Amino acid sequence: MSRPRSAGGTAAVAFSGVTRSYGAVRAVDGLDLTIGSGETVALLGRNGAGKSTTISMLLGLLPPGSGTVRLFGEEPRAAVRAGRVGAMLQDGKPIPRVTVRELVAFVAATYPRPMRVAEALELAGLGAFADRRVDRLSGGQAQRVRFAVALAGNPGLLVLDEPTAALDVEARRTFWRAMRAYARRGNTLLFSTHYLEEADDNADRIVVIDRGRVTADGSGEEIKRRAGGALVSFELAGAPAGRLPELPGVTAVEVRGDRALLRTADSDATVLALAGLGLVRGLEVAPASLEDAFLLLTAAPADAGGPSPEETV
Amino acid sequence: MLDYIRLEVRRTLRDKSFVLFGIGMPVLMYLLFTRIAAGPGGADAEWKVSAMVGMAAYGALGAAIGTGTGVAEDKSLGWLRQLRSTPLSPARVVVGRGLTGSVTVLPAIVSVLLAGGLVNGVRMPVWQWAALIVLLWIGTTPFTLLGLGNGYRLSSQATGLVNTGCLLLLSIVGGLWFPVAAFPDWLRSLAVWTPANRFADLGQSVTHGSAPGVTTVAVLAAWLALFGGYAVYAYRRAARTV
Repeated sequence: MSRPRSAGGTAAVAFSGVTRSYGAVRAVDGLDLTIGSGETVALLGRNGAGKSTTISMLLGLLPPGSGTVRLFGEEPRAAVRAGRVGAMLQDGKPIPRVTVRELVAFVAATYPRPMRVAEALELAGLGAFADRRVDRLSGGQAQRVRFAVALAGNPGLLVLDEPTAALDVEARRTFWRAMRAYARRGNTLLFSTHYLEEADDNADRIVVIDRGRVTADGSGEEIKRRAGGALVSFELAGAPAGRLPELPGVTAVEVRGDRALLRTADSDATVLALAGLGLVRGLEVAPASLEDAFLLLTAAPADAGGPSPEETV
Repeated sequence: MLDYIRLEVRRTLRDKSFVLFGIGMPVLMYLLFTRIAAGPGGADAEWKVSAMVGMAAYGALGAAIGTGTGVAEDKSLGWLRQLRSTPLSPARVVVGRGLTGSVTVLPAIVSVLLAGGLVNGVRMPVWQWAALIVLLWIGTTPFTLLGLGNGYRLSSQATGLVNTGCLLLLSIVGGLWFPVAAFPDWLRSLAVWTPANRFADLGQSVTHGSAPGVTTVAVLAAWLALFGGYAVYAYRRAARTV
């Protein structure tokens, strides 16, 4: 199910050269990102990669330090005011002493062209709980209420900040089913997550962000391919790591303590070359997993001494 | 905005502690002061009236300041952030909250007045009852703003404590519980400048059949400006993080 990257006309979301700092910390550092109408995009990154800051700027909750953010060609606040956006924010909890229906109906009524309340409840899988008090629901049900609140206004763009963080496996599955149903109606969807698998299963396009910048952007397949075919690791035992990126097949190098991790497109050639250099102590060869791909694309700050994928690929 | 007010009023009236302490307590204290603590001969008619106004004012004050406690709770739940990502403008959210406060003071005022009329046989012309309700109602505005300021400025827990503290301090010093006539001189001269004292005076003047004094209105206006400024400052500060 692939969609045109930019379905003509104005992009749903456009970041250009956006930065945002908290004191000395650059949470978002020169972000460029365009999302076309109708796309389902995952914003993938570790905790602290800048996902929530990006989403706050997207919703006009936080002004960018520099650069511009546009939603459907408008300032974020204007787009929000016009009812073009629905959001499910991180760590939000439903307010007590209202019923599910009252809450969803209230939010729907603030939008110019809301969906019917019953429809929103149905989509979020809340039909049976409409008259229950929000504060008497389970965690998974409360999460669905927040989803219903986000889509009640029938917005063209739905933004979900780590929507499944508090859900168990079954609740997750129900949640994504509902979300995909909403996307199929031609709406644009942007969600953040730190699980590559979740991004891969539910988005047409994955945007990996790390340290406030886009480090990879493409379909799940493209991201995995980019991450290379296998992972070869061995003990350096004091040998210099400088020439490792030049070995046959190697696409990325990372040094963790005394251990070198090579991402390679051709593990046989790499291992032969390593043997030639006498670097086979504690040698391990493993196929690249989704998690490896993700780790490679978002090298942890602790490895700051090692080369980042941007520099080595 | 009407929908927002309706939602918030509903939430407030479903809050058992609000109904119990916000509405029940002033009525209970009024009856206690006028029927049980008044001694074997019972309270005189004047005390029945002035205690009624004092306790209605106290109940109204509690409901008004309590609005801010709700705001702090909403803030901590992320609900204010959620509202900011809907088409509802922040200005309407704030004004809506303020108006909610002014609606929820009404049950507190009316129930004490009912107790006065039905239980203690307080009799006044209809216009006086009506004027009393309207003046006590409008007069709560500075306190609503004070509560909102605390709600935006402070954490959820701190707001609860600070608002309760403000309520008790203002009510006691303002003479809502015990008449200022019973205060020592220094405290009495201080009390007449406090907002709650002048707020109750709005009501007391009506029960004496006269219009509120100019000083009373001026003092309340000054507090209104002060608390209003505080609420705006607190909201602006909170808006950066909310």
